[in-house]
Amino acid sequence: MNMSKVRRLAPVLALAAAVTFSTGLVQGQSSDRAKQLGGKLICMCNCGQILTACNHVGCTRSTAMLKELDQRVAANDSDDLVLQSFVQEYGEQVLSEPPTHGFNSLAWAIPGIAFAMGLGLVIVVIRHWRHPAVPAPASGPPISAELLERGRQQADRETDD
Amino acid sequence: MDLFGSYALLLAFLCGVYAFGAGIAAIITRKPLLIKSARNAGMAVCVLVWLGFGSLAYLLFSDNFSMAYVVEHSNRTLPTFLKFTAIWSGQEGSLLLWSFLLSIYVFSALFTYRRKHPELMPYVGVVLAGVQVFFLTLNNFIATPFQVLGAAGPAGALQFVARADGSGLNPLLQYYEMAIHPPIMYSGLTGFTIPFAFGLAALLGRYPGEKWIHLTRSWTMIAWGFLGAGILLGAHWAYAVLGWGGYWSWDPVENASLMPWLTGTAFLHSVIMQEKRGMMKVWNIWLVFITFLLTIFGTFLTRSGVVSSVHAFAQSSIGHWFLGFIVLAVAVCLVSFGRNRDYLRSNNQLDSLVSRESSFLFNNLILLVACVAVLSGTLFPVFSEWVRGTKISVGAPFFNKVNLPIGLFLLFLTGVGPLLAWRKTSLASLRRNFGGPLLIGIVAGVSGMALGLRNFYVTTCLILSVFVTLTILLEFYRGARVISARSGSNLLSSVAQLTLRNTRRYGGYVVHIGIVLIFIGISGTAFNQDKQMDMPPGAQMQIGPYHLTNQTMDSTNEINYSTDKATIAVDRDGRQVIMLYPERRFYPSNQESGTMVAIYSTLKEDLYVVYAGRSPDTQQPVIHAYLNPLVKWIWLGGAVVVLGTLLALVPNRQPVLELRAVTEAAPAAVSTAPARIPMRRYDGPS
Repeated sequence: MNMSKVRRLAPVLALAAAVTFSTGLVQGQSSDRAKQLGGKLICMCNCGQILTACNHVGCTRSTAMLKELDQRVAANDSDDLVLQSFVQEYGEQVLSEPPTHGFNSLAWAIPGIAFAMGLGLVIVVIRHWRHPAVPAPASGPPISAELLERGRQQADRETDD
Repeated sequence: MDLFGSYALLLAFLCGVYAFGAGIAAIITRKPLLIKSARNAGMAVCVLVWLGFGSLAYLLFSDNFSMAYVVEHSNRTLPTFLKFTAIWSGQEGSLLLWSFLLSIYVFSALFTYRRKHPELMPYVGVVLAGVQVFFLTLNNFIATPFQVLGAAGPAGALQFVARADGSGLNPLLQYYEMAIHPPIMYSGLTGFTIPFAFGLAALLGRYPGEKWIHLTRSWTMIAWGFLGAGILLGAHWAYAVLGWGGYWSWDPVENASLMPWLTGTAFLHSVIMQEKRGMMKVWNIWLVFITFLLTIFGTFLTRSGVVSSVHAFAQSSIGHWFLGFIVLAVAVCLVSFGRNRDYLRSNNQLDSLVSRESSFLFNNLILLVACVAVLSGTLFPVFSEWVRGTKISVGAPFFNKVNLPIGLFLLFLTGVGPLLAWRKTSLASLRRNFGGPLLIGIVAGVSGMALGLRNFYVTTCLILSVFVTLTILLEFYRGARVISARSGSNLLSSVAQLTLRNTRRYGGYVVHIGIVLIFIGISGTAFNQDKQMDMPPGAQMQIGPYHLTNQTMDSTNEINYSTDKATIAVDRDGRQVIMLYPERRFYPSNQESGTMVAIYSTLKEDLYVVYAGRSPDTQQPVIHAYLNPLVKWIWLGGAVVVLGTLLALVPNRQPVLELRAVTEAAPAAVSTAPARIPMRRYDGPS
């Protein structure tokens, strides 16, 4: 497309832009409490973003959800009640964190379990390495100078970095 | 050119199959000619993939709208450099990019070692060919970028058709950083194939000693460096383009790139144990296996539609192929390990709990726990739906809560680990190395609290950042002071000499400083502010120390898009500091729009301004402004990490002092001056 075509199409493009931009309507300023609660909710447009952070172009849900949140906050509902009303409307998926009770509390437990298991393994490994099986004393001539030098070189290498 | 690209990829596939089969036959028969033939076929695969990649680039640059991929991802008015980014903007092209970058690594490895390691390289060639064949199967038969557009003709026969123009590139990708972010990220992900291939080859071929570790050291660091840089570039792109005020949202695709970086970091540290002490052989081989598998698993997550993400490609059946490949790769790793595990017998011995060895164990533990936390959080929604039938979300607040303490513990180990001695660290050494830095760190933390810092994690981060930075600087200082005393050179020159003598060690310290800077930047998140309001021309907003005035709103038409732009004057203390131009663009070719954020960035904070659209009630433009402290430190830290990685890749320079001591030995014997002590290489206290 050359420049003259672009110029001819400019009014059409401007109109299309106006239509598009007007669909990108946004919510006004929310209260601090609404912001805080919005951080505990996920936008249900399937973007996976926190409700207050979702502003991706074409999102059809965040504006309505934020408005709903503001209304509930303005009605002075308790935090639990506000969150519960969203859960009833959208399901558990609307909460940004897994619940801390029931089966889903497992999500919180897994990192801790992994740490505990890993730590246990490290302790076992350290104990094992600190008390390795003692080899039977070698019978034979005393350590040669060559062997001693090789040992020195090994120590030098090992402590190099 | 479409046929040329198709044939090039098909030939690459056939050559890959030959390289794989001939490689196995060569290992069995040990015939030199067959070994050479398999290697040459492996290199031919790479050249053919480059031709395929080049032809797709040509089709995009020449606006060939008879090709489905070009129609879907480009249009005539798309700027030239963005046509380059269109190569990987779709599923098919991004898989070809994967094959392309992998082929560069494979060619480099096969060519570099073509006359070396004859016992190991045939195995390496087979593993690399196997991985290449998988991706070439996808490129040729599952997601080919060379599909032509066709339609039924009057007689029912298929006719080729060409469109007048294409649908254009996704607006989110129309940003200069997209020209480098995916190639750099993929260079990291594909790069881990090389250490994986050498590790598996060493296991299969029972290659003696730690040779494979030495051989893959640079490859691993290159892949790790690319992946880290790719992750940070992706974060910067998200920050500058998506317009939500942040840089990391723990999206499944972001997590998919972070996981192999975490295990790759663990691997980079734990191989030192094997090199120096011959320990952790089993662990290292599994770490490199897991890292490679996570690169493939991440690609599976991105492309399968298993988890929802704004980054993900369109859902397709390609995920089954990745899943099949992962299962096959796991089986190969397990069988290889089962049959050859006696080869990995280590002489593990630990003299003291307070030693470098222990610190590496804890470092690996924490990195792996971080990886498990990210992986489990990413997959838990799928798991929960599978078990309970209802889906839940695991969003950023979960990941932040879980990973913050893990991250801080890692930061602590970053300071402690490198300064512990191998085998055993005495109490006196601990006091000497850590006493001062820890005290100053605590003083900094207490001062911060006195100045109003009330966030526990931020205060801890401050204490640890000061502590780690001082321990590293002291390490440089002590080493440089010794060199300076012996050579007479100034301290700065001594630091340079010290670093160049052991680039891996001191490059690693530079990387650690970069990590500290990133942590400082992340800690700023705790003090983010934002404000959103209707701002018609003339309206004003105050956020933090900044006073914003919307001067005008303009609509203009550019070649590829039209834009609605605000002109915001930013004042501070009554003085104008900058003009910002946040905008929303509309791309007519694909009927999509996107934001362009305007950022005023300083070391202290970023003023981040988004034109968010028009208010539903007043139809007035809405400006969303964020004040994000310390964000610039993250990008600075990233640059320092890259610098440290590059430094670590530089070969060590031999100390000149030792040579000088030898040459001066003879004159010294007849000199009346006191004899000089023979100088030995010094790389800092151990």
